[in-house]
Amino acid sequence: MSAMSVALPRPARALRLELKRNAVPYLLPLLAAVFYFDTLRTAAGFPPIWTQRASVIPNHMLLEFSVFAGGMAAWAGSREGRRKTVDLVRTTSRAAWARLSVALAGTLCWLLLAFLAGVAVVYIQTALRATWGGPPLWPVFVGATGVVVVTVVGFAAGVFFPGRFTAPLVAIGVLVLNQIGFRAALGITAPGPTSVLPSPPTSAPYGLLSPATGAPLIDAGVYYHVAPDLAITQVIFMGGIAVALFGVLGLAVGLHELAWAGGRRRMRAAIARSDGWPYRAVAVLLVASGVAASWTGLALAGTAKLTATGGWEIPALHSAASDQSASAAQDCTSSPGFQVCVHPAFGFYLHHVATALDPLAAEIAGLPGAPVRATEVASVSGGNVVQSGIAGNPPVFEFTAERVGNLFGEFYGLPDPAAWASEFQQGLLEAFLAGPSQSASPAGTQLGAAQLAVADALLAAIGSQPMAPSNSGQSALKSGPATVAEMSAAARRFAALPASARHAWLAAHLTALRAGTITLTQIP
Amino acid sequence: MTTTSVLEQSAVPAGTERRFPAGIRLTWLHLRSRHVPGGILALAACGALLRATLYWHWTFNSGPYAQLVPMIIAAGAAALIAVTAHSPFGEVERASGRWLPYLRLFTAIALTGVAILALQSGAVGEHLNEGVLALARNVIGFTGLGLLCSLVTGGLLAWILPMGYMVFCEYALLQAWRAPWTWPVRPPADRGAWICASVIFAVGLLLLTVIGPRTQLSDDS
Repeated sequence: MSAMSVALPRPARALRLELKRNAVPYLLPLLAAVFYFDTLRTAAGFPPIWTQRASVIPNHMLLEFSVFAGGMAAWAGSREGRRKTVDLVRTTSRAAWARLSVALAGTLCWLLLAFLAGVAVVYIQTALRATWGGPPLWPVFVGATGVVVVTVVGFAAGVFFPGRFTAPLVAIGVLVLNQIGFRAALGITAPGPTSVLPSPPTSAPYGLLSPATGAPLIDAGVYYHVAPDLAITQVIFMGGIAVALFGVLGLAVGLHELAWAGGRRRMRAAIARSDGWPYRAVAVLLVASGVAASWTGLALAGTAKLTATGGWEIPALHSAASDQSASAAQDCTSSPGFQVCVHPAFGFYLHHVATALDPLAAEIAGLPGAPVRATEVASVSGGNVVQSGIAGNPPVFEFTAERVGNLFGEFYGLPDPAAWASEFQQGLLEAFLAGPSQSASPAGTQLGAAQLAVADALLAAIGSQPMAPSNSGQSALKSGPATVAEMSAAARRFAALPASARHAWLAAHLTALRAGTITLTQIP
Repeated sequence: MTTTSVLEQSAVPAGTERRFPAGIRLTWLHLRSRHVPGGILALAACGALLRATLYWHWTFNSGPYAQLVPMIIAAGAAALIAVTAHSPFGEVERASGRWLPYLRLFTAIALTGVAILALQSGAVGEHLNEGVLALARNVIGFTGLGLLCSLVTGGLLAWILPMGYMVFCEYALLQAWRAPWTWPVRPPADRGAWICASVIFAVGLLLLTVIGPRTQLSDDS
């Protein structure tokens, strides 16, 4: 040892040795490969919205870390039993708890380091593309707590059942438990047929304690802050389990002795051993605290209520500040007579939206009810799902990040950009031709045969795809006896007219067209 | 006392006069040294877990997620089989065990059969998404991966690769990958998936038989 070297304290030296000999680093290449395929590629498929991208941490990353964290912790925990050195190390001056804690800390350090490195990669990837907001920290806390609790569970299993099958059995158990929790969580948070809002946790509040759940709304955390209530509850619940099991580890030696104690006298002697009382008292305290914390988490989850913005509120933890809307000036782009505005978080597709809507807006400019602006609004307001439509004076076409016309849930990531743009155009046209009297329904605006023909003609005039019957809501029901061929013929006739003639006809007949009194044969 | 009684004493230790044929005894000792009885119990536990998930509807009934839990349990069963490849004797056994390769082959095949039987028993009378054929194929393929992994990591850590590949398959399942090498997510009638799984199993079995798992004396159990 050189004179220059600094002597570390004993626990630090033990930890350094543990870090050097731990098996987790050998696992990191495999973990990195799984992380790349599962977490990183999934995150890359989401829009660059912080809340969306951060949802991969509890939903994907925690799953893949859980498998290896549980298994490798069981491997580390079973070391003494596996190598049959329990009796040998029991004679050392250190308490068993201190010895086990070092092994647990070494495993946990590596796993948390790898986990945080993964989080950093996801967040750097998001930061490079996100146009607004910052990295949410609560998903990281939940994920890290999940890794900790799985590691402690695996380690405890390894200590108490030091067999060769313990590690794979823990890995299977953790994965199956994750899936059961995921199903319970989706049972609560699954959107209904007409709603993107989850249903209240009446029957299974424990489902809310599962870190794995469905992807949040696309604009979650954009217009309103995401309340951390649920994340805090999950951290309390999982942290409680981890603390309780750590306490149980402190009682490991005593429990082993009790398990093998034959006869009342020997059992009494095992209980009354005076050398480990301070440790045992602390361990019992930890077990009690952990159980209390977990029970508190479970009880808190049972009191969860839906907020008006689509999140979860737990009254005992809720802060009114998290209900405030997140103010941000919209990003806008203007063309003559028409302006398109989106939330800055969605600024990455502002010009795509404008490119899609500008030609159509020019076609209908100046007509009664023609929008002068398209603006993006929150997808949930007052507890209700917001549909796209035209409202206000001057008229404004409002759409949300979740819905435009009949397009729902595929707002981002459509494989065909032309089809994506076409959906925007159709959403605007449907709202315009249906008129303000017909409110938009979740099933889509219902257009008549003549309205569909005019819409197709206007779309053809700007070089876009015609409306497919499936894209026009229940228009087929309203179109009555008119056949697709008749509608196509009328659309072709109208599209063949000069733009000024189309505009003049629409100016004269728009009210009748919206009222449904124009027939296909009346379209020039 | 004279030495006569000592010289006349049987060479067979007391209590073992009634001996089984050497082959059976050797096989039994091999299986015990690999904790195969415990492994069979663990496989039975996997079957029971599958039954519990299906009976109490802990998992999804349809859609891609419905395949996940059976796939996890199949990968877990394969991981348990791979773990039984570990030998506590290491080099000594390799040097003296003439029948060792055949015993390894027999053990791996027999345990794969037991795993398939246990999981299929667990699914009897319940709705299993993609059916028992896909389950059997997945057990075969994951076992092949586990046996291959045991050549590198040793038997005790051979559970890592099947479980890691299973996590990757979760992504492949949700992304609807169709490549044959993602056999766990393919339908039971997919010939390419069967070929891939069978080839992996055959290669794993062959290499395990010929080379044997990596031995690390420090990890005796």
